[in-house]
Amino acid sequence: MNNVFLRRLIILIVVLIVAFLGGREFWEIRHFKQSIVVSEDFTKKVMLSDYFEGIKGTWVDTPVYIYDSGNPGGSLLWLGGTHPYEPGAILPAYVAAENLKITKGKIFLIPVANRSAWTMGDYGMGYPKYFSLEANWGEKKFRIGARNSNQLDQWPDPFTYVHYPSRQNLAYQDIRNLNRTYPGYASGTLTERLAYAIMELTRQEDIDLFVDMHEASLMYPVVSTYVAHQDAEDIAMMAGMNLSAEQFPMKSESSPKSLRGLSHREVGDYSDALVVLMETAEPFIDRVAGKMTEELMIEGKDEFLQKAAEENLLYCDPEYDIEFGKPMWYRVGRHLSGTMEVIKQMGEFYPDKQMEVEFPLFFDLEEHGIMHFLHDPETADTDRLFYQ
Amino acid sequence: MLIWLHEAVHQIYFILAAVFALLLLRGLFKRKTRTNWVYDIIYAYTLIPFLLRALHIK
Repeated sequence: MNNVFLRRLIILIVVLIVAFLGGREFWEIRHFKQSIVVSEDFTKKVMLSDYFEGIKGTWVDTPVYIYDSGNPGGSLLWLGGTHPYEPGAILPAYVAAENLKITKGKIFLIPVANRSAWTMGDYGMGYPKYFSLEANWGEKKFRIGARNSNQLDQWPDPFTYVHYPSRQNLAYQDIRNLNRTYPGYASGTLTERLAYAIMELTRQEDIDLFVDMHEASLMYPVVSTYVAHQDAEDIAMMAGMNLSAEQFPMKSESSPKSLRGLSHREVGDYSDALVVLMETAEPFIDRVAGKMTEELMIEGKDEFLQKAAEENLLYCDPEYDIEFGKPMWYRVGRHLSGTMEVIKQMGEFYPDKQMEVEFPLFFDLEEHGIMHFLHDPETADTDRLFYQ
Repeated sequence: MLIWLHEAVHQIYFILAAVFALLLLRGLFKRKTRTNWVYDIIYAYTLIPFLLRALHIK
């Protein structure tokens, strides 16, 4: 064995060790399981592929938790995690799943709508892999996912994404963005099939209200806002007014008819559901924010955002104040109360679609924090414990 | 049929990643030009993304 060969062999071994260490982390993130201890009113869990076979056995097939009161009333399809890099839009689903009480109507809860995007992170932007919250029973770790489906599951992207069925040209990477692929395509890419499966659930279960939770950058005008399909404008506007008067400022906007692929446009057009998308403020998404840390994710305090606020560059309501930041409990609480308010308004406008539900709301989270409402999986009843 | 085509194209990309990894590996040991040790490191570490993709890890 000559020296050159030996040198190259040693370099290769070192590189393979580095690849192994990095690869192990990626593998762990992809296979990370999150616990959910469902409430006593939980009825059953099904998979989204039960509504459309085309995603069975894929990484986008995701659990659907059903809470059926057994009494006639409205039905809600409640989505978290359309963009899993917005954990403030996943945690409300966990809080609801673990505390939901229902005496009228039916709820279909999908905590992570795009499970494929949840199996990787946005490391190019310096995002941490996880963040943790403290409970009196211990610490719970939550994964921070990505915006679009994992390239391991759908690749390559086209040069231009042509939306189905509108034929509108969208950004190439949006072919892996669940919230640009509605109403889906049964023979399309994996993300288009995922959107189609969600549409099938909506149509087959005759969903009355469709709520899609999101987080937005503070520099995005559609932050702290309901975006409603025209059929749901009334309930969203009334809900926004009530929330602004009683809990926190909430704007309301109408879904643009020319902006295709989004849930608030396509689900409303291609089903009978009243569709509302909600945005809360996530400082992580702003490109002007400083170091991407767990603390920023949990507390939302950033000096660069404060400077941007002083220059009137932000759209969030109430205005950004570094003393308060945009803490996770606040963002999660907004989504919980925001959902409850549209449920109430749907019942006011359409009495046959009334629902009677209870789950923790904004002021509950302000008083007790998020983890007060999440249960210890170690001591939970195994019949009510799920890992996803 | 379309789903099958999507899947076929997707799998071809994994195969291509494996082919490039093998080409880089051959380049690391068999190349006749740029024989300096710095190029050894470059050939070796550029293997990583192709290897991880071919193994369905990243």
